[in-house]
Amino acid sequence: MFGFTDRNLFAVAVGVYGISTLYAILLWRKGFRTDNRVIYILLLAAMGLQTIAMIKRGFSLSRCPVNNLFEATMFSMWAIVAAYLVIGLVRRLRFLGAFAAPVLFCVGVFALMPGLDTQDPVPRFIPTMTSLHAALVMLSYGAFGLGAITAVMYLTQERDLKHDKLRAVLSLFPPIQRLETVTWQSLAVGLALLSAGMVFGTIWLKHERGVFFLVDAKILWAIFVWLAYAILLLRRWQFHSGGRWFAWWAIGGFCFVLLTFAGFNQLSGIHNP
Amino acid sequence: MAVVVVGLSHNTAPVAIRERLSFAEAAIPSALARLRAQSLAEESVILSTCNRVEIYAAAPRDPQRTLAALRDFLLSYHGLDPNLTPELYGWHEPQSLEHLFRVASGLDSMMLGETEILGQLKRAYALALEHHHTGRQLNRAFQRAFNVAKQIRTETSIQRGSISVGSVVVDLAEKIFSSLSGRAVLVIGAGDISGKTARALLSRGASEVIVTNRSFDRAAELAAELEGKAIPFDDWVGEFGRIDIAVSSTSAPHYILDRPRLEPLMRLRRQRPLLLIDIAVPRDIDPDVNQMDDVFLYNIDDLQTITEAALRQRREEIALCNELIRGRVQGLLDTAPENSALRPTTPRPRLDNRTTFP
Repeated sequence: MFGFTDRNLFAVAVGVYGISTLYAILLWRKGFRTDNRVIYILLLAAMGLQTIAMIKRGFSLSRCPVNNLFEATMFSMWAIVAAYLVIGLVRRLRFLGAFAAPVLFCVGVFALMPGLDTQDPVPRFIPTMTSLHAALVMLSYGAFGLGAITAVMYLTQERDLKHDKLRAVLSLFPPIQRLETVTWQSLAVGLALLSAGMVFGTIWLKHERGVFFLVDAKILWAIFVWLAYAILLLRRWQFHSGGRWFAWWAIGGFCFVLLTFAGFNQLSGIHNP
Repeated sequence: MAVVVVGLSHNTAPVAIRERLSFAEAAIPSALARLRAQSLAEESVILSTCNRVEIYAAAPRDPQRTLAALRDFLLSYHGLDPNLTPELYGWHEPQSLEHLFRVASGLDSMMLGETEILGQLKRAYALALEHHHTGRQLNRAFQRAFNVAKQIRTETSIQRGSISVGSVVVDLAEKIFSSLSGRAVLVIGAGDISGKTARALLSRGASEVIVTNRSFDRAAELAAELEGKAIPFDDWVGEFGRIDIAVSSTSAPHYILDRPRLEPLMRLRRQRPLLLIDIAVPRDIDPDVNQMDDVFLYNIDDLQTITEAALRQRREEIALCNELIRGRVQGLLDTAPENSALRPTTPRPRLDNRTTFP
């Protein structure tokens, strides 16, 4: 398409996600009072570009483009934006695009980072155990991401309810009690998925290397992430530390995952052979 | 046949006159039958609510003659003096259709943008339909009116925001709690507004009301009205572990609830959100409690600011709604069948040219 490679097209799509993010800031300032279709159209356009990029890559490689971290991330983004576009058909829920856009933009920038798009000349068929490990862990990050998004919504609504009361009443946000419930449930599902993913990883390690544990940067990092979310959920359950505190930690946890994922992936011998 | 409307509303007549022209629902079918039997209208719908009495009709004769005949019918039916005309209005197309659409959308209501009138209009239409007093003209007009009301509700902010203290409290509660069902409300000080607020919360699902007042008899009286429970004034703090919403309106000269008193109570609540409504002047609750986690405090000024802003926003939307209505009336008239009087033959004046009978 106009001489663009699939990667270039994806970069343009990420640019449109960036524009959507700027528009999301505008919606944020307006207090989510109106059902806005502009953000929906922008995300629809970005998804169109991304779909063309994925089809182009799929045809050029003659295989489904989900074989490296770049492709897997691109696929995850596509699933998120597709889910939003379906949800956004309901006018009242269209404002969710203002939350989806920054996440898609950040994940898109992450996907474009060098070193993620490694190509094998021949399709590499991944063993079932490794596929399950990767899929479950990726899904767990998705759940943590969803928890972070609802936590941002919680904090926005909580701030408005206390300090900008008119804006809170007129906004389209769900009640904060429901937002808090969705946040902790997302984190709990994420933790369960991460646990399952780590179990499959351990089984693979035993099968391939004969050990259950290896001192590897990514493994240590994953254990740290698991512990952080487990302690966060335990505190909420045991000490009823909900509300603002819980929301900030849900956001901080996901930011940590986003910012350190690529670095620890590069440092890992078994994840980056 | 053209659609016409004759009637009176809260805009033109006081309740003393409106009540004399109102129709009991059971009497409407016979009144509609009389309109047809006297050849005053081939199609008709009677809308009779506490704020308006209107006859919508379609007749083959000249619209001005139909309007005059319907006015006479309305007055004679209730045995009233034919000179009672300044309060009555009568319109033919397109104003009659614009009026119908405005009524359906709540733009002509006492409480701007309210939706109860749409239900009343639907019931009035259903009653006429059931007794075969509607035909092509009124069916088209009413169906379009319901459709326009829906469009206005979804595409404008005319119904956004609450314009009474009770509804604002309900809105705030619905922004905090996942559901109002099962919520317990504590009323501290049995005043009129707190009673109304508790009633509004009960109507939206709150399950329990506890009332306390310095005079226990007054607390018991309000509790009986709300089907709740009265407790002695000294015991209200003990209820804080289980209630979700507190509405306070005592005449105490100082704060009855402040941060040092609330902090230990919040620990009992295991971080469940607490909505505090302080409608007392001077205030009952120290504003500093709003800084606490899971505590949401609103005083009378907060509530009034919200209602005024909502009303202002609704007023700002009127022009947009009128424009939308004019477009839809135009569309209805343009798509009317060739042989229908709904097709325009003359330029149409705007709705603001209101006319009453001479």
